[in-house]
Amino acid sequence: MENQTYNYAIVRSFVTWSMIWGLVAVLVGVIVSLQMVNPDLNFPPYLTFGRLRPVHTNAGIYGWGIGVIFAAFYYIVQRLCKVPIWSDKLAKFQLWLFNATITASAVTLLLGYTTSKEYHEMEWPIDVMVVILWVAFSINIIMTILKRKEEQMYISLWYMMAAIVGVAILYLVNSAAVPVSFFKSYSAYAGTNDANVQWWFGHNAVAMVLTAPFLGMFYYFLPKTTGVPIFSHRLSITAFWSLIFMYLWTGAHHLLWTPVPDWIQTLAMGFSIMLIAPSWGSVFNGYLSMNGQWHQMRENYLVKFLILGITFYGLQTLQGPMQAIRTFSAFIHYTDWVPAHIHMGTMGWVSMICFASIYYLIPRIYGRELYSIPLADLHFWLTLVGQLIWSISLWIAGVLQAGMWNAMNSDGSLTYTFMETMVEMYPYWWARVLGGVIYMAGLVIFIYNIYMSVKKGEPTAVPTITTEGRA
Amino acid sequence: MDLASIVYLGMTFGLLVIFVMIVVRTYSKKRKDEGEIAKYRMLDDD
Amino acid sequence: MWEKKPILLLVLATCAIMVGTIVTMILPFAWVNTEADRIEGVTPYTALQQEGRDIYIRDGCNNCHTQTVRPLVPEVLRYGDYSKSGEFVYDRPFLWGSKRTGPDLARLGGKYPDAWHYKHMESPRSMVPKTNMPDYGWYSNNLLDPQMIQRKMETLGFPYTAEEIKDLEGKNDMDAMVAYLQKLGSDIPWRDAAETTIVGDLVNPYADANQETISGWAPIYADNCAACHGPNMEGEIGPELIGEDYDDEILFTIIYTGITDGGMPSFSNLGTDKVWKLTNYIRTYQAEGSQ
Repeated sequence: MENQTYNYAIVRSFVTWSMIWGLVAVLVGVIVSLQMVNPDLNFPPYLTFGRLRPVHTNAGIYGWGIGVIFAAFYYIVQRLCKVPIWSDKLAKFQLWLFNATITASAVTLLLGYTTSKEYHEMEWPIDVMVVILWVAFSINIIMTILKRKEEQMYISLWYMMAAIVGVAILYLVNSAAVPVSFFKSYSAYAGTNDANVQWWFGHNAVAMVLTAPFLGMFYYFLPKTTGVPIFSHRLSITAFWSLIFMYLWTGAHHLLWTPVPDWIQTLAMGFSIMLIAPSWGSVFNGYLSMNGQWHQMRENYLVKFLILGITFYGLQTLQGPMQAIRTFSAFIHYTDWVPAHIHMGTMGWVSMICFASIYYLIPRIYGRELYSIPLADLHFWLTLVGQLIWSISLWIAGVLQAGMWNAMNSDGSLTYTFMETMVEMYPYWWARVLGGVIYMAGLVIFIYNIYMSVKKGEPTAVPTITTEGRA
Repeated sequence: MDLASIVYLGMTFGLLVIFVMIVVRTYSKKRKDEGEIAKYRMLDDD
Repeated sequence: MWEKKPILLLVLATCAIMVGTIVTMILPFAWVNTEADRIEGVTPYTALQQEGRDIYIRDGCNNCHTQTVRPLVPEVLRYGDYSKSGEFVYDRPFLWGSKRTGPDLARLGGKYPDAWHYKHMESPRSMVPKTNMPDYGWYSNNLLDPQMIQRKMETLGFPYTAEEIKDLEGKNDMDAMVAYLQKLGSDIPWRDAAETTIVGDLVNPYADANQETISGWAPIYADNCAACHGPNMEGEIGPELIGEDYDDEILFTIIYTGITDGGMPSFSNLGTDKVWKLTNYIRTYQAEGSQ
């Protein structure tokens, strides 16, 4: 059998490390959520909210999100191309560099070495590491696709290829800086230009890291799990081109009402609304793929994660465009509504797909069945409930604070001082802590379940693994 | 109509044309099997 | 076609990505930060201010504070004149932020006296009891590194003098931070332009209020005045109020419009009603201090 030479060792390693970074991200998230309600939990200089929050976001996006992308796509690309990955050595190098980069990021951010640019806080030497890391991954994926034995290229590969060029362009442009020393640099762009470049990067990091690869994973793992093909490959292709074309116009919806030129804001608003179409193209494609298979929602825990994941994606891509409308942005921007929105995407959509991918991969890369399906079900419910408490409480908080910020007296003065609006947030911030703790409990159960599967899981009926390719 | 409106309108129209071309090409009868074969092929790899 | 040709697919995907990138990210460089954007009076940061800015970045202040005032009525009332592109031409990186856990700081410069900032950074809760801002008293223990700061000024191409660098000796993070905060948004003379004017006659609506009613307004004093004038009007950053005897109209005007050059912020955004309550409260208790 040709699959005997597939390299699953690298998939196993990335699965392990992504889970470790995922736990770090969520743990730091819970810590910073506690710092929000009690400032005594800040321990200067290293463990203050201002320094820990970037550790939380970067560990989440780059450690957990990209870690799972590496794991899933090293698996997917071998299966879809029906050839082993192009270079085992390069993949191994990439694994080490990945962990070195994430570790270096966490340490330097705590030490206060930061550019301040959101989701791109790491200073220039780490940017260099990230670039090498991404080039190594890109070469390996592209070369594997070029040498493939299966002529057809399934949509998952399209999304990954677009993400490969997208991330490269975004990261390089936004990295441009003039170093003062090894740990300090100044942005190559100033003021309004810098803001515009940063949010072109920031919003499209969402497109190229947290959307495109995860759609690719969804399109792969859903039919593999249900056993029936997706509803329409051609719909997925139409949505693909529309999505990668339109996303790049929308960055300035993060900068509505700022000094960025009005026409850029207007374009961003228009394209954000239009993005509903390709986003929901994928959502419908997912739902319609379930035609005649909805009973699997009850019977197959994996389907639950995947379908809830795409549902959160659908909600996210409706709420996002609403926030991109000037009038709504005027009301809601800068409040706790915004983190609630982001976390529906990360805790709901992205992480649901990550969990499903890892659950799917375990029997196939370790040759052992999942240790406990009831635990996986429990994990599902804790994830869902934790996420909902998190986001719903902060949506309410956001609307409340926005309303208070805008309230005016009959003489044209403001009704509330800033502090009067802030103290109203505390109960909702406590609710967020609760949501985060529930979510983290689910994550711990998930990791335990995976660990036990590897140690004690029943061997899979058909061995899909051989010793070859093990590292 | 000022210049900006003309530019906006032209751009919108241009994009629409490209989009229609992609849709027509993707959904042409001739390409139906070719367009959908990948989703069946991806299921056979196990 | 591209359905089976990965290199062609990559090229086409790159083209798709580049269209929006060129229009919304690259083209704007032709219009932004050009001469047309320049605002007279906007100057580069001094060595001390720039170092304060770098400390602001180091400790991630931008995670909780924004620095851009939107042209919206409640926002201009709360923070001051809306932000203009030309005010940010020396900002590398920009620090507009995305979340207001704390208030916007774009127009903070000149709002409070230095002493207010020193005390507030040292212990925010000593002045704003319910805030969740962490203490930054440790800034006072961190001495600045003048040589490093000089290198930063060179890299940025900002003007500086040898004397300015020499003056940094012995200064600490706190001094730099306060210098930076006092520069924020004050390069344009918006404060003078926006000075509140009172239209019509001032008539104290609470002239007949009894002692009990007036004592119920103590929280307004505690929340807005006590941080500077002391919980018992004994004075601290601001002057002692005990024994002062302004009449209603003058006291109302001082609170409402502030004393721009004297470090007293305007409290017009509290509204006339609350300012009249404060006026009556202070006048009633300034003989013996509030209790």
